Amino acid sequence: MMDDDTKELVRGLKRRDPELLDRLIERYQHRLFRYLVHLTGNRERAEDFFQETWVRVLERGHQYEGKWKFETWLFAISRNLVIDWQRRKKPASLDELMEPREDSTPFEPAIAAEESPLAQAIQRESECDVQISMKQLPVIYREVLLLRFQEEMGLEEIAVVMSTPLSTVKSRLYRGLEELRKSMTEARA
Amino acid sequence: MSNELHARAERLIAQERVEEIPATEREWLVKHLDDCEACAAVAASTEQALASLRGVSVELPRGLASRTQLRVRVRADELREHAPKRSLLWAITAMSWALGVATAPWVWRGFSWIGEHTGAPKPLWEMGFVLWWAIPASIAAVAVILERKGEQQNI
Repeated sequence: MMDDDTKELVRGLKRRDPELLDRLIERYQHRLFRYLVHLTGNRERAEDFFQETWVRVLERGHQYEGKWKFETWLFAISRNLVIDWQRRKKPASLDELMEPREDSTPFEPAIAAEESPLAQAIQRESECDVQISMKQLPVIYREVLLLRFQEEMGLEEIAVVMSTPLSTVKSRLYRGLEELRKSMTEARA
Repeated sequence: MSNELHARAERLIAQERVEEIPATEREWLVKHLDDCEACAAVAASTEQALASLRGVSVELPRGLASRTQLRVRVRADELREHAPKRSLLWAITAMSWALGVATAPWVWRGFSWIGEHTGAPKPLWEMGFVLWWAIPASIAAVAVILERKGEQQNI
């Protein structure tokens, strides 16, 4: 059963309401951009995909039926754009998505300005550790970890975003978690 | 302690964070972690890794939202401009129907006359009459389908 907000969202997307789109962009900008940065490993590319995703939301809005949360649909769109781009770039294989990217440029994590210099330094160090460890993970593990532990999506929602069976999502999460833990322990040692 | 117990503990440490684990398993895990330093360290490092992951934030490029909003609005205008002009199509269809209704008696006589002179069976020329009536609706339907296809190709 759809609640009133979802019904309103479905109607607004169907009629391509620009005001609604503006509000959605404001609301989901941080989460979507963060997801794309982690997925592509490159801020500039993430920025392109960010804009492309919202244009696609405008164009395909009539396809959103409110069956899943809007963010699940949104992330699935952006993921498909990245995969399409990857396919065009390297039509013979999608294996690159499985391997850590060599050409990806690192990105600087944001630190809240009001924190003390010591807290900032500790946080930056911790974030750098996790950034380095995440970058070493194959994208398929990186992605599920982000969706589960940063975006706090449910396992079924992740399966929808990734168009993957639930069992695959779980196995990738276990494996990814283990790899991340080991990598971070090694980095700290 | 056997390796099997450590493996079970490590599996449960991950499982607990990914999905629910039964209460009995949780009780066993808590007890095991109290007794086993190595597994407790695994649990702590897993928690630390996840805390760091949750704490990561990415700085948003300046003006990204407003640039995107502008681009979306421009695209919305383009789509609106290219939206099919259905009103004209429906007006033509309605006019064809009106004309069809008004001329039906003469058309019926015309089909009947053709049938008599060509010796065509009655059901055949009657079907011809029905088809003649269906032409405006069929053209409208084809036009709508073609427009939708074009719309999807634009997307």
